Amino acid sequence: MTQSGEPVIGVANLCKCYGDVKAVDGISFQVGRGEVFGLLGPNGAGKTTTIEILEGLREPDSGSVTVFGMDVTRHAPSIKQRIGVQLQTVSLYPRLTVTELLDLFGSFYAHHLPTKQLIDAVDLGERAKARSMNLSGGQQQRLSIALALVNDPELIFLDEPTTGLDPQARRSLWDLIKGLQGRGKSILMTTHYMEEAAELCDRVAIMDHGHILEMGTVPELIGRRFKERAVFFDTSPKLPVEQLGKLDGVTRAAVEDGQTVLYSRDVAGTIGALLGLTDQLNIDPHNLGIRQATLEDVFLDLTGRALRD
Amino acid sequence: MNTLMRLTVANIRSLVRDRAALFWTFFFPVMFVFLFGWIFGGSGDGKVAIGFVDQDNTPVSMGLQQAFSQVTLLTIQTGSLEAEKAAMQHGDISAIVVVPSGTGVAVAAKSATSIQLYIDPSSSQVSQVVEQIADQIASGFNLQLAGGSAVVGIQQMTLQSTNISTVAYLVPSILAMALMQLGVFAAIPLVQQREKGILKRIGATPLARWKLVGSNVLMRLMVAIVDAVVILGIGLIFFNVQIVGNLLAAAGLVLLGAGAFLAIGFALASFLKTEEQATGVVQVVQMPMMFLSGIFFSFDFLPGFLQTVARFMPLTYLADALRQVMVNGTQVAPLGVDVAILTGWLVVCLGIAARSFRWE
Repeated sequence: MTQSGEPVIGVANLCKCYGDVKAVDGISFQVGRGEVFGLLGPNGAGKTTTIEILEGLREPDSGSVTVFGMDVTRHAPSIKQRIGVQLQTVSLYPRLTVTELLDLFGSFYAHHLPTKQLIDAVDLGERAKARSMNLSGGQQQRLSIALALVNDPELIFLDEPTTGLDPQARRSLWDLIKGLQGRGKSILMTTHYMEEAAELCDRVAIMDHGHILEMGTVPELIGRRFKERAVFFDTSPKLPVEQLGKLDGVTRAAVEDGQTVLYSRDVAGTIGALLGLTDQLNIDPHNLGIRQATLEDVFLDLTGRALRD
Repeated sequence: MNTLMRLTVANIRSLVRDRAALFWTFFFPVMFVFLFGWIFGGSGDGKVAIGFVDQDNTPVSMGLQQAFSQVTLLTIQTGSLEAEKAAMQHGDISAIVVVPSGTGVAVAAKSATSIQLYIDPSSSQVSQVVEQIADQIASGFNLQLAGGSAVVGIQQMTLQSTNISTVAYLVPSILAMALMQLGVFAAIPLVQQREKGILKRIGATPLARWKLVGSNVLMRLMVAIVDAVVILGIGLIFFNVQIVGNLLAAAGLVLLGAGAFLAIGFALASFLKTEEQATGVVQVVQMPMMFLSGIFFSFDFLPGFLQTVARFMPLTYLADALRQVMVNGTQVAPLGVDVAILTGWLVVCLGIAARSFRWE
């Protein structure tokens, strides 16, 4: 959205195989300066391999990969000075305190921010002297983000930053990431949560089996796939999907997580027809509702399976 | 402070704050020193044990025995000359006093006679003490019985004590065991950190990997020195085990031994994938070494085929070298061979680790 100048990340026709398995199979994308870019996809889609190549941890088999306009295989040391990597496993030293860890990680870099400033940035002031092993899940994620910010990086990699957190901790972490975005940092993140991608990412790429299936802003992706809105209710054995697919306005009917979802071009017509049918059968559709199609629907439509399986 | 020192400090902090690790690195070997020291030490009070052989059986010889028994520094055991010689060779006693038959008759006749004193000149401190005591007793005896004329003399005999005392044997051996465990157990945190993806993630920072490994090595070498000081200190203070050899050579051996076993630990970590595997394999490696390398009992007591097995174990040579340098222990192999074999293990295992170690 706020792209300007040359992209911070440029990936063109990237391939990476492990034996016979094509983990990444000819993907291309760019991330602009100040942009938050999301890689979405199920486990094994190739997200982690892509990120690790960008971080200089793996060599690509073919294709070109640049960060800050520099080739990652040839300029890994200078790139590493300027990127921040969020560690899913927080610390090498679980018995060191928050302050000690930030001091230590700071010493790995030529330039680093004052520890106090980092602690304040992630709101861990009260736990500054706590050993990292004694932090709560949310606090550990905050620490791991603080560790990613130690060198005041221009580009930050966040690998599933909120996995395993309760909704409240997730919300507060989202605020933290939005703050980084506000300070002009470029961010490449992976996530399992469609809601998170919709909330944080300027653009997303949906990956599966090493390919990028779809790329764009979240509204673009939804609009490209779904002109419809979704009518949903608790699935009932008396209302088979095949039959519902023929109701007025319905383009597609599906069962997801115990709910029947009818994608409809004409919501009023569909609901009228549905209620007529349930009247006839003398049943009540439970938890009936209407919503816009979501990124989750896009993903399901693209891959035929839910993201979090 | 540079990165390497900061990492080393971080390693030391982590160790000091980890009670389980502290137990295994410091208290476990210390416990062994006390346990075996008390079991085998006997005279843990700094006394010198001597044998007294009475071939005379007269009031004179009994008087002499009583005189020796009254010296608080000595503990006396009696027996035949053969038995006492065997005991001295085995290191149970440090000297033997023999009163030959006919001594009583000679003293009564005021004709010159002598008692025999067997000492081991190679353990000079103890020999000197025993010599002085024997001299004093003899002159006191002469004063009392013969008015000062030298009737009873001392005939010095030497008997090579081929074995050192059990505690003196154990202290450097247990130090060797501690160094072995310090090194081999280093495989576990490495495998753990790799399994958790920590090593890979560290790779995403500009930190040079050798510094990560180097800080680990530095920390463990420091612990090795502390272990050595603590174990030898306890041996000296509580069990009177003197370090007779060159301290610098001893420190060099401690570092070489710790280095060789660290290399073995790193080589093991190259092939192990999970923490459970590492914990199991490390035990499989260290247990047989602990029991077969002549730590708790002399190498000579092992049956032949186990001696052959033990000759393949690096711990055999580290323990042997430390005993030779620290307490004049009898050698399993010449010191030069010990050092060469340990250096060989260090170089080969380091090579294996450098070739095969995976960061993820």
